[in-house]
Amino acid sequence: MVGLKRAHYRETRLPMLLLLPQLLVLLLFFFIPAVRALSQAFVITDAFGTSVQFVWFDNFHRLFLSPEYRSAAWITLWFTLVQNILTIVVAGALAFATDRVIRLRGLYRSIVLLPYAIAPVIAGILWAFLFNPSVGPVAHVLKAVGIAWDPNRSGFDAFLLVTLAASWKHICYDYIFLVAALLAVPPSLLEAAAVDGAGPWLRFRRIALPMIGPTVFFLVTMNFVYGFFETFAIIDAVTHGGPGGATMILVYKVYLDGFVHIDLGSSAAQSVLLMIFAIGLTLLQFRYADRRINYDV
Amino acid sequence: MGVFKRYLVAGALALAAVGLAGQASAQQRVEVQFWHAMGGVLGERVAEIVKRFNASQSKYTVVETNKGNYDEVINGVIAAYRAKKHPQLVQIYERGFMTMLLSGAIVPVQDLLTEKKKAIDWADLVKPVASYYQYKGKLMSMPFNSSTPILWFNKEHFEKAGFSGPADTWQEFEQQLYTIRTKGISECGSALANDYFWSLIENYSIINDQPFGTKANGYDGLDTEFVYNKTKVVGQVTRLKKWVDDGVMQIAGQGLNPEQLFTSGKCSTFFASTAAHGSVEREAKIKWSATFMPHEQGIAAHNSTIGGATIWTLKGHKSEEYDGVAEFLSFVASPDLQVWWHKVTGYVPITNKAYQVAKAEGYYKDNPTREIAILQLNRGTQTENTRGFHFGNFTQTTFALREELESVFAKKKTPQQALDDSVRRGNDILRQFEKLNAGKY
Repeated sequence: MVGLKRAHYRETRLPMLLLLPQLLVLLLFFFIPAVRALSQAFVITDAFGTSVQFVWFDNFHRLFLSPEYRSAAWITLWFTLVQNILTIVVAGALAFATDRVIRLRGLYRSIVLLPYAIAPVIAGILWAFLFNPSVGPVAHVLKAVGIAWDPNRSGFDAFLLVTLAASWKHICYDYIFLVAALLAVPPSLLEAAAVDGAGPWLRFRRIALPMIGPTVFFLVTMNFVYGFFETFAIIDAVTHGGPGGATMILVYKVYLDGFVHIDLGSSAAQSVLLMIFAIGLTLLQFRYADRRINYDV
Repeated sequence: MGVFKRYLVAGALALAAVGLAGQASAQQRVEVQFWHAMGGVLGERVAEIVKRFNASQSKYTVVETNKGNYDEVINGVIAAYRAKKHPQLVQIYERGFMTMLLSGAIVPVQDLLTEKKKAIDWADLVKPVASYYQYKGKLMSMPFNSSTPILWFNKEHFEKAGFSGPADTWQEFEQQLYTIRTKGISECGSALANDYFWSLIENYSIINDQPFGTKANGYDGLDTEFVYNKTKVVGQVTRLKKWVDDGVMQIAGQGLNPEQLFTSGKCSTFFASTAAHGSVEREAKIKWSATFMPHEQGIAAHNSTIGGATIWTLKGHKSEEYDGVAEFLSFVASPDLQVWWHKVTGYVPITNKAYQVAKAEGYYKDNPTREIAILQLNRGTQTENTRGFHFGNFTQTTFALREELESVFAKKKTPQQALDDSVRRGNDILRQFEKLNAGKY
C-alpha cells in the first residue's frame, strides 16, 4: 500500500490541493464550531453576550452533579445499544433473505429501502400518530389484545417507541451495505457448503458472516454515530425527550439547553462531553472489535 | 439609560445633519424591522396591523417578519444582536421577560414613549398585564398578545348530568366530572392541554394567592427561591394525578392536539387560553361555553395571570427609527386597534379603555365568553403572590417542572417527590441566573 501511494504521488502539492475542499468543509463545519464550543464550555454568559464570566470547570461540575444529566447519559447508552443491535440484526435478516426471495425481488428491495426516503421528522410524526393511544391504529390493536400502551405517560413505552422508530429509519442503510457485502461472498463457497449439508443458518454463520465482518463492523460504528447524533429529529417529533425525561438523549439535551433554554455554557460543556463520549466509544470499538475482524478475505 | 440618552442626542444631531444635507430624500420612509412569532391566522392579523399602520402615515414603514415560533424568535434575535444585525422591534414571550430585561440590549418602552412624547395612559393598562411586564413601576416592553386560561366546557354534557355549568370550586368541580363519567355521559372529563403547567399549576397558584417563589415571586430580588412544593400546589398535582389515573383526565400526547379532544365532544372540559376562541369557534362540533377557572374551597379567588408576548425595543438604532418605533407602538396600544385585535384573535385588550369600548358596543352580549378573561384578570386586589412571575431562566425552570410532573403521571414519583425535585432543579437554575446577573436587578 505504502509503495503504491509513493509511486503515484511524488510531490505533496497535488494531493493537498485535492484534499483542500474536504478540509475546508471540515474546518468550517467541524473544527471552528468545535473550538468555539470548547471555549464556550468554560464560561457562563447571558443570552445576548453582554456579560461573560470565566468559570473554569463549573459547567462540567454542574453536569456531573446533575441526576438529570446522568440519566440522559444512561438513556443514550441504552438507546444506541438497543437501536444498534436491532437495526443490524433486522437488516442482516432482510439482506440474507434477499437471496431467497425469487419473485418480486425488486419490489421487496424497494419496500425495504423506502424508509430511507422519508424525512426523519415525517417518520417521527408517523410513528407518534400510529402509536398514539387515543387515535393511533396500532395502539388500538395493542389495546384490543390487552396491552396497556401509553407512551405519553409510560417512560418505557416512549423509549420503546423512539427506539423502534429510530431503528426502522436506519435499517435500510444497513441493508444496502449488507446486501452488497453478501453479494461479494463467493457463491462457490456457499454452494460447496450446501452440498456438504450445511443449512442456511450454518452457511450464514460460518461462511457469510466472517466474510462480511468488516462491513458489519463499519455499520456498527455508523449505527452508533447515527444513534448519538442523527436521531434528534425523531426524538423531537415523537416525544420531545419525555415523558419525564425517559427519552432524553444527550444530543437532544444539548439542543434543549442551548437553543430553547439559552444556557449556552452548559450546552457547550455538554457537546464537548458528547464528543468525548462518541470519540471514546469509537476508539474502544476500533481497539477491541477491529482485532477480530479479518480484512484479508 | 445614560448611554441611550447620549445615543439619542447623537442621533438627533445626525438627523439634523441629514435634514440639512438632503431635502431631496426627505420623502424617503424610515424602515422599522419587526420580528414576531405569529404564524398562520395570527400571522395574517399581524400583517394586517402593520399594513394599517403603514397606510395610516407617510413617514415610517414597518416591515414584519415571522421568524418561527417563540423559541426560534428569541434565539434568532440573540444571534442577530450578537452580529449587530438585530431589528428594532421583536416579539418575545412572557417567560423571556427577565432574560430580556437584564440583557442590556433593550430600551424600556415606557422611557422611549415618554421621551418621544407618545406616552399612553400607563395607569389604564389591564393590571396583571402591566404588572407582569413592569420593573420598578415602569413598563419595560409593550404588551401585545396577552391571554389567560379559562375553563371551556361542553354544555350538553353538563346539562345531561343535571348541572347548569361547572362549579366554582375545585372540590365541587371534581365531583361534577366524576358524576358525568359515572352517568356514562362522557368518558373523558377533561383533556390535558399542552400548556397545563401554565393554566393548572402557575395560574392555580396565583388565583389561590399561593406564593410560587420567595421575594414576591421574584419581584423583590434575584435571590428568589421556588416554594411551590410547600403550598396548595402539591394538593393540585395530587388531584390531577388522580384524574389521570382514573381516566377522568386524558393526555392527548404527541401527534394529537388536545383541543380536538374537546371540540370533537370526546372530553367534557378543557383548561386553556382564552386565545383559543378563534379555533374553538371554527372547529367545535359541540355546544360549548366557557367560564372562570375554579378556585379552592375557602379561598377567595384572585386574579389570574397572563401568558403571551410583548414587543421589546432593542438598542443600537438611529433616533429617527425610534421615532417610528414609538409611533408604531402607540398605534398598537390605541383602543381602536386593541378592540379589533381582541375580536379577531381572542386575546384580551391591553387597556381598560379598549375593554370599555368593546363593552359599550355590546360585543359581550353576543360573545359572553370573550369577557371572561378580562373579568378574571381584573378580579380581586393584587397581592404579592398574584402580580406575576419574575424568575430568571423561566423557560428552563418551567421545563424542569414539566418534566417532573410527567414523572408523576408516569407513576415514577409521588407529587411531593416530584415537586421537591422540581424546586431543587429550579433553584439551581435560579442561582445560575443570579450569579450571572448579580447586581443588575
